[in-house]
Order: sequence, then C-alpha cells, then structure tokens
Amino acid sequence: MIDRILILSVFIVASCGLAYELIAGALSSYLLGDSVLQFSSVIGCYLFAMGVGSHLSRYVRDDDVLARFVDIELLVGLLGGVSATLLFLTFSWLAAPFRATLYALVFAIGVLVGMEIPLVMRALNARSAKFSDLVAKVLTFDYLGALAVSLLFPLVLAPRLGLARTGLLFGMLNVAVGLWTVWVFRSSLAKPAAQVLRGAVVFALLGAGFLASDRLVTWAEKGLFGDEIIHAVTTPYQRLVITRWQDDTRLYINGNLQFSSRDEHRYHEALVHPALESAPWAQNVLILGGGDGLALREVLKYQNVKSVTLVDLDAEMTRLFSTSAPLTALNRAAFGDPRVTVVNQDAAQWIEHSERMFDVAIADFPDPSSFALGKLYSVPFYRLLAKRVAANGYVVVQSTSPYFAPQAYWSIVKTLEEAGFRTWPYHAYVPSFGEWGFVLASTRGAFAPPQHYRIQMRFLDAEVTRGMFAFAPDMPRPPVEANRLNNQSLVHYFEQDWHRVIR
Amino acid sequence: MDRRSFLLAAGAAGAAAASGAGFWRWLEIPAAVRAPGRELGHLLRNPGAAPAPRAHYETDVVILGSGAAGLAAAWRLAKLGHTRFIVVAGPEPNGNLSSGIAGEVRYPTGAHYLPLPSRESAHVREMLQEFGLILDGAQSERPYYDERCVVHAPESRVLIDGLWHDGVLPADALPAEARSEHQRFFAQVDQLARARGSDGRRAFAMPIVESSADSQWRALDSMNFAAWLDREGYRSTALRWYLDYACRDDYGRACSEVSAYAGLHYFASRAGEATNAERGAVLTWPEGLGALARHLAQSAGLSLNATDARSTMRLLDGAAISLREIPGGVQALCASLAGGGLETYAVKARRAICAMPLQVAAHVVGNLHELGFDAREHLPAQAPWLIGNFVLSGFPKERPGAALAWDNIVLGSTSLGYVVSTHQDIRVGPPQRTVFTAYHALSEMSPRQAREWLMRAPPAELLERASIDLRAAYGWKLAACCERAEITLRGHAMAVPTPGYLSNRGLLALRETDGRILFAHGDLSGYSVFEESTWWGDRCARRICSV
Repeated sequence: MIDRILILSVFIVASCGLAYELIAGALSSYLLGDSVLQFSSVIGCYLFAMGVGSHLSRYVRDDDVLARFVDIELLVGLLGGVSATLLFLTFSWLAAPFRATLYALVFAIGVLVGMEIPLVMRALNARSAKFSDLVAKVLTFDYLGALAVSLLFPLVLAPRLGLARTGLLFGMLNVAVGLWTVWVFRSSLAKPAAQVLRGAVVFALLGAGFLASDRLVTWAEKGLFGDEIIHAVTTPYQRLVITRWQDDTRLYINGNLQFSSRDEHRYHEALVHPALESAPWAQNVLILGGGDGLALREVLKYQNVKSVTLVDLDAEMTRLFSTSAPLTALNRAAFGDPRVTVVNQDAAQWIEHSERMFDVAIADFPDPSSFALGKLYSVPFYRLLAKRVAANGYVVVQSTSPYFAPQAYWSIVKTLEEAGFRTWPYHAYVPSFGEWGFVLASTRGAFAPPQHYRIQMRFLDAEVTRGMFAFAPDMPRPPVEANRLNNQSLVHYFEQDWHRVIR
Repeated sequence: MDRRSFLLAAGAAGAAAASGAGFWRWLEIPAAVRAPGRELGHLLRNPGAAPAPRAHYETDVVILGSGAAGLAAAWRLAKLGHTRFIVVAGPEPNGNLSSGIAGEVRYPTGAHYLPLPSRESAHVREMLQEFGLILDGAQSERPYYDERCVVHAPESRVLIDGLWHDGVLPADALPAEARSEHQRFFAQVDQLARARGSDGRRAFAMPIVESSADSQWRALDSMNFAAWLDREGYRSTALRWYLDYACRDDYGRACSEVSAYAGLHYFASRAGEATNAERGAVLTWPEGLGALARHLAQSAGLSLNATDARSTMRLLDGAAISLREIPGGVQALCASLAGGGLETYAVKARRAICAMPLQVAAHVVGNLHELGFDAREHLPAQAPWLIGNFVLSGFPKERPGAALAWDNIVLGSTSLGYVVSTHQDIRVGPPQRTVFTAYHALSEMSPRQAREWLMRAPPAELLERASIDLRAAYGWKLAACCERAEITLRGHAMAVPTPGYLSNRGLLALRETDGRILFAHGDLSGYSVFEESTWWGDRCARRICSV
C-alpha cells in the first residue's frame, strides 16, 4: 500500500515537474516571441537545474528523507504554482528584468524537482523494496506522468484554464502529495502537525489564487496585449510588439499602442492630407518618426511629391516594416518606393546638421512621456524645424489628445507659436485612441481646411475636414505655457493629464 | 582527498582567482593626470638663466594670458577696431575656461556654467548677444535666450540615503523646522537681492565694483559667513551643508573661511532673469564655459594655428616669465616647453594687459611692488581644485528616485557632485559616449596641505578622491561603463574671498593701475567668476582705446 502511494506520488510529481517546464516555455515564447529559442533555453536551464538538485539530494540525511521530501513538495507547489502568474505580472507591470526572473524561477523549480525522485527512491529503498524493481517502477511512472501532462497541457489545460491557472492547479497537486505523505507517514515524522499547517497555508494560498486568477490575469493582460504576438523584438531604443487578432494588426512600442490596422487610416489620413492637399506644389517631404511607414504610404499617394526623407531613430523598426510581409501589406511596401530615403538617426541631431529644405514636414513622434521625448516638442526643436521648412510650407505635429490631455495638447500649440509658427489645431476621432489631436503650422503660409481632395480616402472628405478644425465646447483651450527645455512643462502636463484619465 | 578531486579543486580555485583578478582589472579605471601650468609655473620660483629669445615680436598691445580676462580684453579690442595685439596663451589655453574632447563629446576641465547675467553684467550680455545666445532684448530686464544653452530640465537632484530627490534642497525630504529656516534664509537673500544703497546701486551686484559702497553691507566683510549664519540663527544641518556646498562650489572653501559678504553675494548678486527660463536658471554647454572661450577667441580673430601671416592679431603658445617696462613701452619674455626643452621669445609692445593670476604676476612683473601690491601681504589665499572627467561608454545603472539630472549632488558629501556633459543634447536615443565631470574643491585640507598632497599623491589616490560622489551614486557599476578618467589638478584654481578681501589695498591699487602695464583678472575682484574676469578684461581694453 505504502509503496503504491509513493509510486502514485511519483506520477503526480513527474507531471507537475513537466507542467512547470512547459508553462515557463510557453509563457516566455508567448511574451518574448521566438519560441524555438525560448523552449530550448527553458528546457536546458530546467534539466541542468534538475541535475544540480539530484546532486544536492545526497546531502539530505537518511533519517530526514521523508521530512525533506514533504518540504520540497510544499516549496515546489508554491513556487511552481505561482510561477506563471508571477511572470505575467513581472512582464506587464513591474520594472524587474523579465528574463532574469524567468530563468531564476525555472532554475529554482528545477533544483527542487531534481531532488524529488532521488528522495523518493531512497525512501522506497529504505523500505526494503528490491532495487531493480524499484528503479524500474519509479522511472516508468515518472515517464508516464510526463506523457500524461505533455498531452493534457496543450490539448486541455492551456486552452481551458490558461497558463496561470494551470500553474496554480499543479501547485495544489504538489502540495496535496506533500500533505498525503505527511498523513501516511505521520508516525515516522518528527513534526507532522507543523508540516500540515504549512501545507494547509500554501494550499489555501494557491486555491485563492486559482479562484482569483481570472481577475489577476485580466489585470496583467491590461498592461499586455491579449492578442497573439506575431513579432516581438527589443531594439537598442525600445521594445516593439506586433499582435494580430483576426484582421486587426497592432503595434505596441514599450507597451503603448501605436496603431491598430482597423482604424489607423483615420489617424494617418488626418495627419497627412490636410497639409499635403493644401500644398500641391510640395516636392520634398520630411517625416520625423513614423518608422511604421503608414504616414509615408499616405504621402506617396501624391504624384507631385518627388522625394520623401524619413528620419527614424530605430533601424530595426524601419527594417521590420520594410521586410515583414504582413506589415508591408499594411504600408503598401512604402519603403520600396524609389522616392523614399530612410535615415536612421536621432531626429533632433539630424535636423541640427541637415541643410536640406522641405515643403512639408510631418512630426509623428511618440507622446512626450519623458524628458528625452519632451525635447522633440520644444521651442528650440521647432525653431530648428522652421529653418528646414519653406516659409509657405507646412509642419504637422501629432500632439496627443486634446480631450484626454488638453494641457499637453495646447502646450504643443503654444510651443509652436512661440517658435514663430502660425497654428491651425485640429483633431479626429480614432476609435482605438479616442479623440486625437494634431497641429498644422506654418511660418508664413496661410491655410484653410481643404474643400476637396485629389486623393480618394476612406475617412476624410470636405465635410469631415471642416469638423476637424472646430473644437467642441467641452474641449476648451486651457491657459498653458510653452514647452521650454528649461522646465519641460509639457512632460509635467502630459503626466498630470493622463494621471487624471487613467485609474 | 584523492588526487583527482584535488586537481579539480585546485583548477576551480585557480579559475576563480583568475576571473576574480580579471573582474578587478575590469573594474579598474585607467586614469590620466594632468596638472596644467604646474611645471612652467613652478619654474618661475627658481628662475635659472633662461635661454636667449629665439624670436622677437612687436605689437601695440600684448595680452598675457588667455583665460576669461585675456580673451575678453582681446574681444573688446577687436570690437573697438584695435587690431594690433598679441595674446600669449599662458601655460594652459583658455585657463579656467578650458575643456576637453572624447570622441565627439566635449567636456569641461574648468568652469562649467554661467548664471543668467544680471543687468550690471552688461558686457556679458553683449557677448551672449553677439554669439547668438541671447536672441532678443540683450540689455532688457528679461532677455530671450537660445534655450539650447539654458540648462534643460531636470536641472539638479540630490542623493539622500540611497534615494535621489529632485532639486537641491527637496522640501519633502527635510524636517519641518529645517524647511522654515530655508524659507527664512531665502526670503532674507531675496530682500538683499532687491536692496539698493544710498548711492542708488544694488547692495550686491556683479561685477562687485558696481555694488553699493554703503557701510551697512560692507561691514559684513569683517566676519566669516559661518559666524554670520550663527548670529542670524540658521542652524539646520541641511541648510548649513547646502550653504557650505555653495561656498565650496563658488569659492573653493567652506563657510567658515569665506567672508560673510562673499557668502551673501553668491546668492544676492544672481538677479538675472530671462523671458524664456525660470529665475535662477543657468547657462551651460557640453564643454562648459569652453564654449564661451571658443566664441570669444573667434570673435577676436584668434587661433593658435593661424596661418594668415598678414593678420596683426595673433595667439602665441607659451607663457610670460618676465614683464618689464622699457623706454617707450614694455617687453615680455615668454617661454614654452614645446618640443621638450625650454624655448623663449620676446614680445615688445606699447602696453601690456597682465591677464594672469596674481600669484603668477608676483613673479613675472618686476615692479609689482612699486604699483602698490606687496605679494607677501596682499596675495589672496588660493583654493586648490581637483576635477575628474569620467568618459563613459554607457550610462551606469541608477539608484531609485529622480532620474539623472544635469547637476547631481550627494547630501553631506565633501565633494561637489558631478555634471553630465551630454545633458543639453536634444536626442532620444542614448549618445555613444558621455562624460561625467566631478568637481572637488579640496576644502577638507588647508590649501597648502592640499597642494602638497596634489604634488605627491599617486594617480590611484587622486582618482579615488575625484570619484567620491560617483562611487556613492553608482558603486562598482561606474567602472563597468567607464572607459577612462582624466584628472585635472588645479593647485591654484581660484582666489578665496576671505574676510577683509573688500579692503585689500593691493587689489584696489592694481585695479586702478593705468600705466604701461594694466591688470585684468578675476583675482582683482577677490574671487573667480566669468562675469568678474571678463569685466576687468573689458575695462582694460576700453582704457587702452580711451573709451
């Protein structure tokens, strides 16, 4: 009987061990992409750690084997159980390095799991089972457990329960094995009561996690993407994640949504066409940022445009959007157009040293959420920009949301005015962003919203355009300062505004 | 232990030791030490027989020294159309305005910022306007500056118990009674900044000669700043540390050694404002005030490598070792250590502007005594400085709290923190390289002790002292990104305004000298700041041109 109990626990223990390995591998390929690399490195790390664990098992004294086995079960249950949830939260909410956490967890679980089988074998051996029988039985059930989980995990558990709950479930199984062992061997254990108590606490913890995990995961996914990740890469400057769900492709930079293919046409038509339609003489166009090539796609629709210079810091970004098939389908292979020159350099550094003149310049930078980014929306930067744009030419700036971040939006308007531009603020509704703002500006030129467009569009026509330049009474212009490098008021406004919106 | 496991253990221990040694070597920062002017300067104390001059130059005005005062004199002469002058660079071109370059990154090896100039510093505003740094309203209440040189946010932060806080005296990190004392101090200083004397002049103006002569303020020069603070009941440790920091930062010595007048002058004279920057903002460049030195030299038509032989304005390498009056003018004998040995040349001129520190002039100018300056009695104390430039291939990992600022200081430190040379870059991606410049006035020793220590300390010891604050901020992570360090020793960096400096007879005499030899240097004001040094240079040039 006792033998059978131990053999059954081998089965459970083996399945749990494999489950944690699979969860870590799946989670890391889900979050980091490149599944071959993630699975191999997780398995390698795990197997090596098991070896370390087996080696360490020799330091457990013979009369202590059962007690330590129970301790290990509780610990594995706890660590393995919360591993998926912990990794999710680390990735989406904490600043802690994800990879370091991942491998540390995998290693720790591996060491503990590596100690299990040797200890079980010693426990059985001490109960004078025949050694050849023992090895055969234990290893048979070990591998059977692995087979069971390797089939259950992808077919049932992961799709039905999700990674976090699967982890918690196996954690509870581990703890159950531990508690069961305590019960069966209560007579030969020194402090069974304390172990039961510990086991109960861990079990309750995991159980609570299991019940609350829906909410936990939703919370984690809020910072995450939810959809399938088709590409994820960390460049020297930022983390790019591209997701797809049905026909919706999305780009996230450092976890912030940059576009959704369902409505990006609204954003990019509004960004590009009011200026380019009003400058039919425009030959040279400058795009700052916009490494996704979507604004570029719109600009290239004009036959009068002879050259477009796109300056984006991140070479990996422009490479991705000029080579990846689903992405070039989105920007209609804009980077392949012979009129396009790509410069991978810091926009401000480039513009300070450039001597070229442009008819229209489009600044499509990330929102001013840091001091470094705030400098790209400053008086000196716009003064530099003014020197590179024809006096009657236009500058368009993506400028956050006039509805959600009114101080930040109007601070950008004010900054452009301070730098010597006349401005025509406007906004458009982009479902995935909400009400979004732009500023059209010119040092000498005049501007009136276009009455008709030469280009056929999905979103813009004369009527919609007229509406874009009108601001509803619930979007008044607040009294704000220009963004000076000395105090970077814009960064503070942006922080205050969004702090008020996001709970 | 069997043989096999012994070999294994020995091998493992060896590998560990080797990698440990490698780790330590990796953590070692290669340091180069430079002591500009030391060799040539100390040669003046025991002048042997100088070799015969190899070349002779003749000009109308010879300017001896190319620091702020000398460059300002050349700049004004050129602006007034006076083009016959020679500048003898001195042992270190640009003096306290000097700078270095690592790859593409420039960094200061001397002074690194300029407060927004007040209206009295009209000459500085005139320069800034000419260099395109003031865009509008140069002499108005609030000029409009080129924001690229106004220090960008975040300007400063302070490390308190392992956590970085915004600003220098963060209200949230201080106890309540300290906060009220700070408010009282700054209110009092604010009042002094606005105060005017019976002569209509501001109580504390920069340049100092434009300040009111009223005795109620001049009397402050009879006590040291620490005594004044005690008298006024300022006892908060944090405030006192900050004021000490300010004195060390500007004058190289602690409150207890600096005149109370100078201590208050530091705060009350900085009344410059700008249309497009906050009050109290400063101007800075990657290479510090080296940028202004470059502009001044360019505007004055000076260049060390000038090939245009027709030009009557020249900049010569080397330093004056003697200056004497001769019939019809002056003759300067100048020496340079170029090419290993000592070489000399002579410059004859109608008049000379002696734009060198007074402890050097005391050796160079033969008849200084006759001009009313007795070096034994009138020479101000000089503060020694240690400047460490750390060339980094990346930014070291930061402790929690406020993000890296331009000026980063450590509460309670004896050192003065460090500035980031790439702070003013407008860029999103990190630069390939950056330089952190750490300043340390050696006020923990007497000036003499400090100079002796500077003479004998090995590079490792100098490096350790120069990196006190950087190590407090980053620990071993600093070395991991540090390519190399350059340590600059300035044994006689600046004059210290000790009590009584306002009535130093020798200084007053040299200020008014208007003969063949004129004097221009911050030392004449009793302390070393750009506005003062350039003011004297400017005035000498005007005197020569009689305007």
